[in-house]
Amino acid sequence: MEKRFEICSTDELPPGERTIVELNGHSIGVFNVNGEYHALKNDCPHQRAPLCMGKVTGTTSATDPEKVEWEDDGQILRCPWHGWEFDIATGESVFNPHKVRARSFDTAVESTSDDTSEESATDGGCDCGAVEGDQPPVDTYEVDVEDQQVVVYL
Amino acid sequence: MSGRQVEQSTGSEDTAPTLIDCDIHQKWKDPEEVIAYLPDQYKDRGVQSPSILYDNVAEFSRRDAIPDDGSPAGSSIEKMKEHHFEEFGVDYAVLTGNSYLNLTALPNRDYAAELAVANNKWVIDNWLSEGGPFVGSLLAAPQKPERMAEMIRELGDHPRVVQVVMPMASQHPYGHEYYWPMYEAAEEMGLPIAMHPYTEGHGVTRPPTGAGHPNTYFEWHTLLGTYAMGQLVSLVAEGVLAKFPDLNFVVIEGGLSWVPHFLWRMDKDWKALRAQVPYLQKPPSEYVRDQVRFTTQPIEEPDNPEHLLQILEMMHAEETVMFASDYPHWDTDSPVYALPPMSDEMEQAVMAGNAQELYGLPNDPTSLPTN
Repeated sequence: MEKRFEICSTDELPPGERTIVELNGHSIGVFNVNGEYHALKNDCPHQRAPLCMGKVTGTTSATDPEKVEWEDDGQILRCPWHGWEFDIATGESVFNPHKVRARSFDTAVESTSDDTSEESATDGGCDCGAVEGDQPPVDTYEVDVEDQQVVVYL
Repeated sequence: MSGRQVEQSTGSEDTAPTLIDCDIHQKWKDPEEVIAYLPDQYKDRGVQSPSILYDNVAEFSRRDAIPDDGSPAGSSIEKMKEHHFEEFGVDYAVLTGNSYLNLTALPNRDYAAELAVANNKWVIDNWLSEGGPFVGSLLAAPQKPERMAEMIRELGDHPRVVQVVMPMASQHPYGHEYYWPMYEAAEEMGLPIAMHPYTEGHGVTRPPTGAGHPNTYFEWHTLLGTYAMGQLVSLVAEGVLAKFPDLNFVVIEGGLSWVPHFLWRMDKDWKALRAQVPYLQKPPSEYVRDQVRFTTQPIEEPDNPEHLLQILEMMHAEETVMFASDYPHWDTDSPVYALPPMSDEMEQAVMAGNAQELYGLPNDPTSLPTN
């Protein structure tokens, strides 16, 4: 059975911002990425650093050394230790989306009216250069918005 | 002690080569032999290149390799055959040229390029025409990449030309796009590009170590692997290996115990800094494993030979390492005694198999045309 945690009001978590909370004994980062909410375990799979304190950024992609593109701006979290990049929506490592993945949590914004809540993308992922691997990503958690409150379920 | 059996057989149609020596230095008896191939405007200049400033107290060429007539070591085909090939059962000798040319040390790139071309024509006419175990390299002066590309396309289809050799030292790290026309030509002609040291710190090249100009040849020689690391990380990171997937590189005379360290470090940094090299579609070490080969000499000699074997295993030597003696230079490695005991499979790959595959050599060396 999932437990419901109210995190903050949507006003307190504008696009580009994050908040780090402790839920069920887990440190979890809740992010607003361009109006979509995502929650990730604040625990880098590399050396257990506080991943969610890292820089929110974009990343590069290229099929040719002379044509490098900037993409996924605001969707990438860079760990404050060693700089590994993770897709905030999926918890997948950019260098290897399957082998190394940060733990993400479901998040949602639930409104006070009877509007149904806006489901956040948890499996969209970035389209940056991906390398096949075989290990699971960092945990993500369900996020919802209810009564203009950002709510995380885990 | 290594007890490797030396098989005296040379390759035939039925048996694969058992010993391919990937670093044999041939030399002219008299520079006039090469000057004859230079364009007229350079004939008066002759063969002129900045020479090494680090004195080797052990001398550069082996005294026992000097032919009976007193001509330079490496200048007599007969002496080389008797002294090295027959002695050790060398099936193929990959001629890597006269590193004393120090081509990238020359500030005049037009002359450097023509000196390379003249040298290569001399090699084809005087050594590759001999047939037998000889296959050879086109020396390149990469500071003139378009001219080198033209040369690679012109001379590279000789059946006994098997690679291009650039000096390990250069004006820019070798990943720089300035050099790419040459890489494109080599890939097109199916020729690997090797890098061979000697020029480091001479003429217009950079200091031979990251710390600057050392005091002694002892230091210069100890750190050759670090120069190779600088070139290799550049080739990986600038996307040369990714952009030219059918192009192979060979690191000659850099030793190899640094390779696991280098590959691990590159992969670790790539996990963090991948955004600077997004065209790499797999971990950097995999590009090296797939496209780069390392020759053995001068092999490291740890007190416990088992440690060297472990390093060979770490760098997948059964795919990536090729034997080289560096004959007739002072630090020649013996085909019999230099390497630690290893599995039959790894030994076959290192002593011959990897080179046979890389250079596309037939089992029978005599079946290769001489022109």
